[in-house]
Parts: sequence; structure tokens; C-alpha cells
Amino acid sequence: MPASHEDVFVIDDLSVRYSGRDALRNVSMVIPAGGITALIGPSGCGKSTLLRCLNRMNDLIRGCAVEGSLFYHGEDLYASDVDPVEVRRRIGMVFQRPNPFKDTIYSNVSFGPRLNGMKKGPELDEVVEKSLRRAVLWDEVKDQLTKNAFALSGGQQQRLCIARALATDPDVVLMDEPCSALDPIATMRIEDLMRELSTRYTIIVVTHNMQQAARVSDRTAFFSVSGGADDGGDPAGELVEFDETVTIFSNANDSRTEAYVTGRFG
Amino acid sequence: MTVVDTPTSERDPVNPFKSTERGGKVDPIFRWVLRSSGVLVLAILALMVLRTTWAAWPVFASEGLDFFTGTLWSVGPSRSEVTGTYGAWPFIYGTLVSSALAIIIALPLAICTALYLTQLAPPRIARPGSYLVEMLASVPSIIFGLWGLLWFLPNVLRPVMNFLEDTLGQSFPPFSILFEGPVFGVSYFAAGVVLAIMILPIITAICREVFMLAPEGEKQAAYGLGATRWEVIRKVVLARSVPGVVGGTMLGLGRALGETVAVAMLIGASQRVGTSLLFPGDSMAAVIFNTFADGAPEAIWALFAIGVTLFFITMIVNILARLLVWRIGRITGDATV
Amino acid sequence: MTTTVTRTRRRARWAAPLLAVGLIAAACGGDDAGNGNGDDENGSSTPTVGGETQDLSGTLLGAGATFPTPLFLEWLGAYQEIEPEVDINYQSVGSGGGIEQFLSETVDFGSTERYLTDEEVEEAEEIRGCASIHIPVVFGSVTVAYNLPQIEGEELVLDAETTAAIFARDITNWNDPAIAALNPDLDLPDVDMIPVHRSDGSGTTYIFTRYLSDEVESWDDEYGFGSEINWAAGTVGGAGNEGVTAGVQQNPGGIGYVSFAYAVENDIPVASQINADGNAVAPTVETVAAAPAAIVDELPEDLRFDILNVGADAFPIVGTNWVLAWECGYDENTEELLKAFWTWAVTEGAPIAEDLVYAPLTGPVIDLALEQIDKINSQN
Ligand SMILES: Nc1ncnc2c1ncn2[C@@H]1O[C@H](COP(=O)(O)OP(=O)(O)O)[C@@H](O)[C@H]1O
Ligand SMILES: [Mg+2]
Repeated sequence: MPASHEDVFVIDDLSVRYSGRDALRNVSMVIPAGGITALIGPSGCGKSTLLRCLNRMNDLIRGCAVEGSLFYHGEDLYASDVDPVEVRRRIGMVFQRPNPFKDTIYSNVSFGPRLNGMKKGPELDEVVEKSLRRAVLWDEVKDQLTKNAFALSGGQQQRLCIARALATDPDVVLMDEPCSALDPIATMRIEDLMRELSTRYTIIVVTHNMQQAARVSDRTAFFSVSGGADDGGDPAGELVEFDETVTIFSNANDSRTEAYVTGRFG
Repeated sequence: MTVVDTPTSERDPVNPFKSTERGGKVDPIFRWVLRSSGVLVLAILALMVLRTTWAAWPVFASEGLDFFTGTLWSVGPSRSEVTGTYGAWPFIYGTLVSSALAIIIALPLAICTALYLTQLAPPRIARPGSYLVEMLASVPSIIFGLWGLLWFLPNVLRPVMNFLEDTLGQSFPPFSILFEGPVFGVSYFAAGVVLAIMILPIITAICREVFMLAPEGEKQAAYGLGATRWEVIRKVVLARSVPGVVGGTMLGLGRALGETVAVAMLIGASQRVGTSLLFPGDSMAAVIFNTFADGAPEAIWALFAIGVTLFFITMIVNILARLLVWRIGRITGDATV
Repeated sequence: MTTTVTRTRRRARWAAPLLAVGLIAAACGGDDAGNGNGDDENGSSTPTVGGETQDLSGTLLGAGATFPTPLFLEWLGAYQEIEPEVDINYQSVGSGGGIEQFLSETVDFGSTERYLTDEEVEEAEEIRGCASIHIPVVFGSVTVAYNLPQIEGEELVLDAETTAAIFARDITNWNDPAIAALNPDLDLPDVDMIPVHRSDGSGTTYIFTRYLSDEVESWDDEYGFGSEINWAAGTVGGAGNEGVTAGVQQNPGGIGYVSFAYAVENDIPVASQINADGNAVAPTVETVAAAPAAIVDELPEDLRFDILNVGADAFPIVGTNWVLAWECGYDENTEELLKAFWTWAVTEGAPIAEDLVYAPLTGPVIDLALEQIDKINSQN
């Protein structure tokens, strides 16, 4: 598949195995730059697994093996000379549960830049402010930057984590069910934030909440588990359909997709 | 008496919430047992301290502060008064030096071992490794003493000490002082190294527990921001573990300060103070152990005085550690990782 | 037993369980093989036939010095063959512990390598209301063991001056002229000396330092004597004869003092020592026994004595082991057992002592000891 530089990720025939057990089989998709791409599907279908492949977080899991190819801006992310640490510095990630460091708000946001060698000073202050502003948290915390992050509410913590990811100046932000631990109002604020960020960043978000996917995303990929015992193999996640969100939700190609988005699926 | 005993018969038909056997009587007994065992432990401790101090009093009274700073320990034969000279500094010094050396050697090794077992080693090494560490922690100290004196000292420590004396000992201060010869074998150094080996397992075991508790979420976050393994260990695992590691170190230090048999066999038992680590000295626990059986009453009072001193030193060390943990807690609360 | 409580006694009683970790040197009288006497098990009444005791029964409890423990064990074993109904427990807790337990009346007899001080004698009198008795039961010597492979198999001679200088760290090398002068035939190497002493309080240290203090004035001024002294800087301590031996054998150039019996048993080379007549004497059972024999005329009434300044063919570093007993306060049976056992030990027990390289009492010393034994319970 010819890689275009317009495309952020070009995934070709990607399979992932945990300790020899297939988790995700033969996924091929192209994720273009900008906007929000949602990954949906029943739990266990490999959404998080795919997301973790995108910034090589899977390398940290013992027994995880990745096959196939994955290009990021035309670069083979799994080439032998690629340092996964460098990949993670360029591709930000936000997790399911807010996971700020047990430290000050300032230290949390400045963690990434400091890893990259930026010293304390006005420049760092600026990065912290800019990131907090982009995460729409600045107004709430600007007077308490030295306060412990654990004192913030769950929604604020998650936005702090987003700010922290933005501070390393990535062009892609991966989010794994970023709202599943939050209340509806906090969820709404994060969704607004995602929309806002999507003008500047390529956002890929895993969600099990179909309304959320429908509300915020531009494109949606639907995954499902297949290949049970009747196929003679292990069940594993596979990509069923990837299209514009409107198409997926109103005019799906595959009957399984339609069944799932209309709630007629397990 | 009662012919039929149904479960409901326990209940008062008028007041169903009237206190029953279960809630009304057992709970207070339970509370009383817990409270009195707590009080009992404290009372025993207090009695022990008072009794020991009382037995040691004649020596404290006759020596005053010289007891802690004096360097001459010369026991008298009296049964009723203090006739000897009792300066315990050589023992205090020996205890502090050998324990400090033990911690300086053991702590980094323990941290590295625990980090390896929790952060790097594959499960098939980590699990047996952890069992091994815990097993080592329960080896009786006499074994370490015998092994240290009869095998480790001649075969390993002596060549090491000779080497240190030849190199660092011939260099410049402070090393030329710390490693000044001659090499006797038994010494502060020998005691300190074997103590380090003795307390290594307990510190390692505690560090391992503490490192395992390092918050997985924060580790993931750091990795996600592009931290290397070492950066994650330093900025998340270690930074979050300071109180636990200090606690483990204190436990090890407590064992080192009070260790008797192994130190008695290895420190040199010379009742003197030497600036060189290669010098044979003595420790508080060791001198009590060595001379208790044969001392005249006044010598035994003096040994009690050493015991009291050791108790208070251990307590001070623990209080300092607590303060340290508290300070660190405050610092990491409002500064950088 | 009286119930007088003094400060030291209370302390001692409290300390006793801590000390009583030594060995208990008695086989339980497991052999109940019937004898016709039908004595009750307590042995409260024992038939005495024509002044000669036979078929004794009962229990004695003793505690004290570690130095004679191997000998006492043998004695107790042998005596039980003769008197199967007698149990004697001996706890090897050290001389200091022995004196302490004796004075606190928790034992029937004590055992020590240092005689009681005047203060202790007075206190004893107060405690029991009668005098304490010192019974010498065996002699032992302290020898200087060394580790110098270069002179293996040859005789090393030392005198008190040189020995003191070595332990005071005034002499620090084996090729020191003072040692060479005493050993003109030896080719002494340039090796650092490492003096090893006992780290635990012990009768062995008492005997050794008593000798040095008596012979060498500067030693007396600086270090004195006792079961535990303040050793010179640059010497090392070892626990027990074993610890000292380990210290000597692990260090080429090591030198330390150990009980002669221990040195023989472990085949450690020991130095000959120059005595008051200027003779170099190697330690043997005979030369050790010759030492107390040489001073028997000068012994004080109460037999509290040091063996010093001996000449002729006597080895000069010799100490006494005393059994401590009382002139009153024993019940009849205990008195009888004490007298019978210790009489047997100092007379018929002699060959056993020699086998173990202890020097038994000889000639007039035996008579003096028997006189002391006779005083047991004499003031009742
Ligand atoms: N660390 C892991 N080790 C082993 N198996 C895993 C691991 N993570 C996920 N899996 C397995 O991979 C499959 C996909 O999991 P995941 O990607 O978490 O699904 P989703 O995020 O869609 O719920 C599941 O069968 C799961 O059990
Ligand atoms: Mg998931």
C-alpha cells in the first residue's frame, strides 16, 4: 500500500499475539491526519491492543508479539533501528483512569519536556501554561500550580493528563476510553476538548460508548471478535469496517456493524 | 430447663433491638483484650528500661558524661561500689561505625537487587529470587558469624583488606586514614561487611515489597511520555518508595546496631578506638555478650549502662528516620519529581 | 536457705537465668536399678556405716569456671560409676558467674580461677553467717601459642619481659632483637606480630595477666591484671580458647595465650617460658605440677594464693582452680556429698586430670585441700 504523507498511520496486515494467543488478526487501515478517529467494538476485541501498537506501548508487555507493518508518516515504526522511547515521545497517550503523578500540577505537565532536556525557567513555564490552556484547565489551576495533582477532581485530573501529553508537542494523541471513569459532565467537557484539539492534532480514541463515537468522531473503525472454535482457531479481534462516522452509524456496509451500532448485538 | 429452644427465643418479644450476647458482651471483651495487650507491651517495655537503668545507675552516677565519651574501659572487682573506669566510647564508636558501614554497603545493593527482581527480571527468575531473599533473611546470625570468621574473613575479606590497605591506604586523606594498616583480619571493616550481608536480605525484601506497590498507572504515564526504563524507575518507582525504603533501612540498621554474636566474632574485641576501618575495635552488644558471664557486679552494672545506651541510640536512630520520612514526604509534596 | 535480700543478691538472682545457659553436666540418674537399701529418692537419710560413706544419694549443684569444665565432666562421669545415686550438676558459666551464684546461694558450690577478694570474703560472711572456704582442686597453666610457619618444629623461648612487650605492642615484629636474644638458634623472619587475647572475661586471662603484672612492673602500671583488662590498641580479641586459637591460626605472625590443655588437645605449638631461676621450661603436666609444689610452704591459711615467681624446673604461668564452699548452712546429706565427692576428686581423680593435661594436686597440697574440705559445715 503506497504511503502518503497525508496519512499519519498506514497499518498493513497487523496481527498481535500475547504469549502465543492471537489478540488481533490481520488489521489493515489508513488513518489520515487530523480529526478524530474512534475505535469501537465489544470488549476484548483488541481496541486497546491496536492503540498500544501505535506508540509501541505493547513493547512493555511481556510476551506480546506484533506482526505485519505499521507506518507513521511513512516511517516503519517496527523497523529494527526504531527506539520505542522516541516513538512514545512523539505520540502522546491518555489512559482510561486519570493517572497524574503524585506531585504538583506544574511537575506533572512539565514532566515530558524535562525528560527531553528542557531546564526550569521561563521557557518551561510557557510550555506548561500553553499545554494547560490547550487542555482548557489553565483558568482553573493557574493559581495552584504547586498544589498536588491528587487534589483535583477526576475530570480535572484527566484534563491534566491530556495537558501533560500535549506538553511534549506530539502530533498524535491516543486516548483509551478517556471518559469511562468520569461522570457525565466531566465527560462532556473532555469531549468538547477533544473536538477542539482535533483541529491541531490527530486524535485516535477508543470508546465503548457508541453515542460518544457518534458525537465526536469523524471516522469510526468497528472491531469484532471472530474465529471461534468452529473455525478451528482461537477467537481474535478483527477489523470489520472502517469508514466515515456518519456512514458507520447510518449506512453500515457490514451487517455486524449495523447490528452493533443499533444495539442489536451481544 | 427450657424444653424448646427456638432461635427466636433469644429475642426479647417486646424489644427486638435489645442487646444480645453477641453484641453486648463479646465486643467489650474483645476490646478489653486488645487494649490490655497493648498496655501490657508498653508496660513491659517501660519496666525493662527502668529496671536496666536502675541496675546501671551507679555507673552513670560515678562516670557522668564521661561514660559516653571516655575511651578507657577498665573493670573493677567490686561488689558494692564503682572502682573501675568505664568509658564506653570505644563500643559506641564501634557499633556506629560497623553499622554505618553495613548500611552504606547493603542499601545500594538491596535497592538494586529489589529493582531487578521487581522491574526487570522475568517471572521465572523473580519468583525464586524473592523466595531466596526471604529465606536468607531468616538465617540465624551465629551462622553468619561462624561463616564470616572461618571462611569469608580469611578467603575473601583479608585479600580485600590487604588490597585496600595497599591502594587507598597509601593514597590521601581521608582514605589513607580509613584504610591505614596493619591488616589484622578481624576489624570494623570485617564486622561491617558481614553485617551488610546479614541485613541485605531484610532490606531487599522490604524494598521489593515497596517497589511492587509503585503505582502502575504512574509508571504507564511515564512510559507514555517517553521515559526510559531507568527514568521510570528513578522518577516513579524510587521517588514513590522513599518512605518504605527508609523504613526498611531502619529495620536493617536496627538489626545491625543490636547484632551481637556475629559482630562479637568479627569486630576484634579490642576495647579500643581506631580511626582506621581495618582496626580491631569493639561494639556495645559484643562487649556485653563477651564479658557478661565473668564480670564482677560493678562490671555488670557497667554492661547494663551500655545496654541502656544502646537502647537509646536505637531509639534516636528510629526517631531520626521518622523525621526524615516526614521531611521527604513534605518535600516531594511540593517540589519536583 | 536464708531469705536475706540485699541489693546485689537480688540483682544476681535476676541475672541467674541469663547466665545459666552453660552446660548441665550430669546424667540424670536414669539407672534406678534396684538396690537393697530401699532409700527414699530424696536421700534425706543416708546410712553411714562405721564413718565410711557408702551408697550415697542426692543431688549437688555447682556453677563456675569454664576452664575446668572438661575435667569436671570426666570426674562426674567417673564418680557416677562409683556412686550411681549421686547427681552432680555443674553449670559452666565462668568464674564471675560462679562467684555470683555462690554468693547468692543458688548453688552448693562455686568454681573459680580467681580467689575471692577481701570484700567478697566479708560479704560472704555476712550473707551466710560463716566463712567461705577455698578448696584448690586442680592446677592449669596458660601457654603462649603462636603461628610462625618459618620456625615450625623448633622451640621458641619467651620470658615475661618479652611476652609483656609483645602484648603491649612494644614489640611488633618477630625479628625483634629481644626475641632473637632469647632464641639465638632460631632464624626469625620479618613478620608482623598479631597478638590475640581473650575477649570474654576469663580465668585464663586472669592467670596470664597476673603473671605479667608480677614479673613486669611496666605491665602492672599500664595494664594490671584481672579476668578482663584493657588491652593495648592493635591487639585483637577472640571468644574463648577457640576464638583465640582461630585468631592465631588465621594470622601468620599471630600469637595468643590459651589454656595448656586446649593447646595440647589441638596440637598448637606453644612457647617455653623462662622461670625465676632463668630456666627455659616447656609446659608439661610435670612442669606445671611442679609450680604449686614449689611454693607449698608459703601458702596462706585460707589458701587464697597466686603461684608466682617459681623457679627450678617449674613452668611459671600456672593458676589454681578453687571450689568454693561454706563452713555452715548445708544439710547433713549435702555436706556428706560435698565432702565425699571432692575428697575423691583431689585424690583418686588425679589420673583423670593428668589424662586431660591438667596438673592434679600433689603431696602436701593434697593434705591442705583435704583440711579445707573438712571445714565444710564445721560451723553448723
Ligand atoms: N497484557 C495482556 N496480556 C495477555 N493478554 C492480553 C493483554 N492485554 C490484552 N490481552 C488480551 O487481548 C485481547 C484484546 O484485549 P484488549 O485490547 O484489551 O481489548 P479491548 O480494549 O477491545 O477491550 C483480549 O482477549 C485480552 O484478554
Ligand atoms: Mg480496552
